[in-house]
Amino acid sequence: MMEILSRISATDCVKLCHRVVDGLCGREPPCRSDYSTTWSLEEWLQLLDFLTSLFRLAVGNAIPDEEVLAKLSDADHSHADAVLSVLRGRWEEIRRALLDRTSSISSATLQDFDWQLKLALSSDKISSLNTPLLSLCLDVRENGALRPITMELNREEVSTLISSLEAANKVVLQLK
Amino acid sequence: MRFRFCGDLDCPDWVLAEISTLAKISSVKMKLLCAQVLKDLLGEGIDYDKVGKLTADAKFESGDIKATVAVLSFILSSAAKHDVDSESLSSELQQLGLPKEHATGLCKSYEDKHSALQDKLRDTSLRLRRLDSVSWRVDYTLSSSELREVNEPLVQLRLQTQGAEPGSSDTTVVSVSPDKFRVLLTELKQAQAMMNALQ
Repeated sequence: MMEILSRISATDCVKLCHRVVDGLCGREPPCRSDYSTTWSLEEWLQLLDFLTSLFRLAVGNAIPDEEVLAKLSDADHSHADAVLSVLRGRWEEIRRALLDRTSSISSATLQDFDWQLKLALSSDKISSLNTPLLSLCLDVRENGALRPITMELNREEVSTLISSLEAANKVVLQLK
Repeated sequence: MRFRFCGDLDCPDWVLAEISTLAKISSVKMKLLCAQVLKDLLGEGIDYDKVGKLTADAKFESGDIKATVAVLSFILSSAAKHDVDSESLSSELQQLGLPKEHATGLCKSYEDKHSALQDKLRDTSLRLRRLDSVSWRVDYTLSSSELREVNEPLVQLRLQTQGAEPGSSDTTVVSVSPDKFRVLLTELKQAQAMMNALQ
């Protein structure tokens, strides 16, 4: 597999590997059109697959350098070093991406959240309401799709939520 | 003529008309009727048998009984809605032709339940999804198919929310990484501090 990698220079190889890691970490993966003259579609897909699984396996199983180099044995030295340097440099980032994947196994995960504090002034029921309300929007990722969960909390509900989270946080801090 | 208990608007014609119906029952019985209507407004339920007995002396037809309950309900809830004090309410009702004794009795009942009534109105004001309950569990992930050694905590949260219509509750289960969890908690505390500063 790795011999086709030598069709690009070692510097380009570093660039490609970084883009592959980008894709692995949920950002933009490398673009096929940039390399369409170098590799056929089939070669491209195989190469991408090989590099991605190499990075995932190496970090996932904490494989030492020598074993990674052994998997890259059919590439020349400079290309193997290029792949290894990207792997070393972005080890933590790949690990974090794998952690994210781990936590999303069989459960919805919290992707992002936003809040807004507002003062409700008046309503059809009472002319001077003057109640602060906290709008909380949770972006929940479930099976790849984002689902927004919104709620409006009054003072009591906010303190209930916070005391619940505080209790959980205590346990999390003990584990760290 | 504008009235504070009507939100500085004219008194609706039907209220004006039914005030004379109110004057037909004794002030003592009207005060007892007020207590029933207040119970209804506070969500404790009205006892229609009692209402029937209280209005029996005045030989009210069922239409009159309904009108009496409706007008008392309007006066009490509208006065609470616009935060009118009982003396102003009493003088406004007398201007509308309610006998002094009746007005005093009604306002006494109103004064007693004024803050409870306002709390109830505040509670029933429009709210989009409210939070019903929170449950949590902290897991410690040891290993996974993605990563052989994970050794990280993970927080599972279950939030139960309730929509504007009763019975439209919704349950969300979500897992939160420790970093995100800490940010969420910190930001909620900031929001809470701002919320409390508004008091």
